[in-house]
Amino acid sequence: MGVTCVSQMPVAEGKSVQQTVEILTRKLELLGAEKQGTFCVDCETYHTAASTMGNQGQAGKLMYVMHNSEYPLSCFALFENGPCLIADANFDVLMVKLKGFFQNAKANKIESRGTRYQYCDFLVKVGTVTMGPSARGISVEVEYCPCVVANDCWNLLMEFMQSFMGSHTPGIPSMFGNKHDSIYSPGDTMAQYMELFNKIRKQQQVSVAGIR
Amino acid sequence: ARSDEGVGRRPRRRKRGCAGGARTGAGGALEQPVKRGAPAAPPYREAKTMEAPPVTMMPVTGGTINMMEYLLQGSVLDQSLESLLHRLRGLCDNMEPETFLDHEMVFLLKGQQASPFVLRARRSMDKTGTPWHLRYLGQPEMGDKNRHALVRNCVDIATSENLTDFLVEMGFRMDHEFVTKGHVFRKGIMKIVVYKIFRILVPGNTDSIEPLSLSYLVELSIVAPAGQDVVSDDMRNFAEQLKPLVHLEKIDPKRLM
Repeated sequence: MGVTCVSQMPVAEGKSVQQTVEILTRKLELLGAEKQGTFCVDCETYHTAASTMGNQGQAGKLMYVMHNSEYPLSCFALFENGPCLIADANFDVLMVKLKGFFQNAKANKIESRGTRYQYCDFLVKVGTVTMGPSARGISVEVEYCPCVVANDCWNLLMEFMQSFMGSHTPGIPSMFGNKHDSIYSPGDTMAQYMELFNKIRKQQQVSVAGIR
Repeated sequence: ARSDEGVGRRPRRRKRGCAGGARTGAGGALEQPVKRGAPAAPPYREAKTMEAPPVTMMPVTGGTINMMEYLLQGSVLDQSLESLLHRLRGLCDNMEPETFLDHEMVFLLKGQQASPFVLRARRSMDKTGTPWHLRYLGQPEMGDKNRHALVRNCVDIATSENLTDFLVEMGFRMDHEFVTKGHVFRKGIMKIVVYKIFRILVPGNTDSIEPLSLSYLVELSIVAPAGQDVVSDDMRNFAEQLKPLVHLEKIDPKRLM
């Protein structure tokens, strides 16, 4: 996977989530990007059950199990500031077996779904982030496929994002700082999504006032 | 007659292969701005890797079939190994003889339940680039005394190399580890493994090992969806063909404790 930047697009003043997504995708299409299917990234939260906590003597940890339609046969499991495990789809079956030790906080399930665009060597995915039935925000994922070293192409990525995100272009993701010259991997993208989802979960729900 | 090299021939100029659109950093503009309404990009831009994966959008969660492992075990003394391997080569599917050297670590997660949750992490020591193998094995199914093999639920997961760090983060602790070295054969869906177990003398150091016994463990197994008990008949028939070199039987691990 090429170097990827995942960020949040704020909802436009007086518009709904849906409308903001449409504005963004229209800008991309005017730029010349081609629609190429859809995508979905989802995240489930597990927390250590009370039974294990007593023995470990540490605060309960949150484990995130994520899926990305770009890698349909894989499952990503991560701890915040911890290791990210990349496993095959059977990992979900294992989590069911571990029910007694890790509880699935079903209400916390969050996902981003939307359209996938290709523009030259870039892949752009604009998604509506939903938690249950409500839309909570917009995610924008931009990937520059040919390059796998984060710091080598950040400037190019930023320039491209400015062409359709304007002033909402994000700053350099904090994790790029740690990477130096190491190869970018899909686990890094999932970690960025996890940060984004956590941020959105903490935000207030998108105000309904803007919807006519 | 060899052709005359160099005389009257232009020096060959080789074009350096350029890596497609790999333009890096330096704040440069994109190489070819795409004009509105421009025709489709030239073929070399349509890299196959950028197409959306050909699957539905539904995430792959749950709803999987429960897989069961059917198992028969036996052992042979070191001196009988060669004749057993010879017999297996004849009976099993024709394939390149495959040997393996693996390192297995067994992790436990202790909770309030009486019995801890056991997971097995296995990696190849001689084949590079292979994923780690995480395995869960359930309790043996107590059922039909006529069933010829040990049956238990199993979940097999391929993972990235940071598996042990991740298990520790989840709360698992390593209980024991060992090295296995042996041969693997296949007959249809049956897997036959003949291997020796080695004790690791210094924890974490797989270079200093010693054999646990003067014999090789022989295992005949099938991993199949639940409800396919008929496979145990096939296993029994195959086991018959290995007698008297080795007697494969259903060994209940609980009875050994």
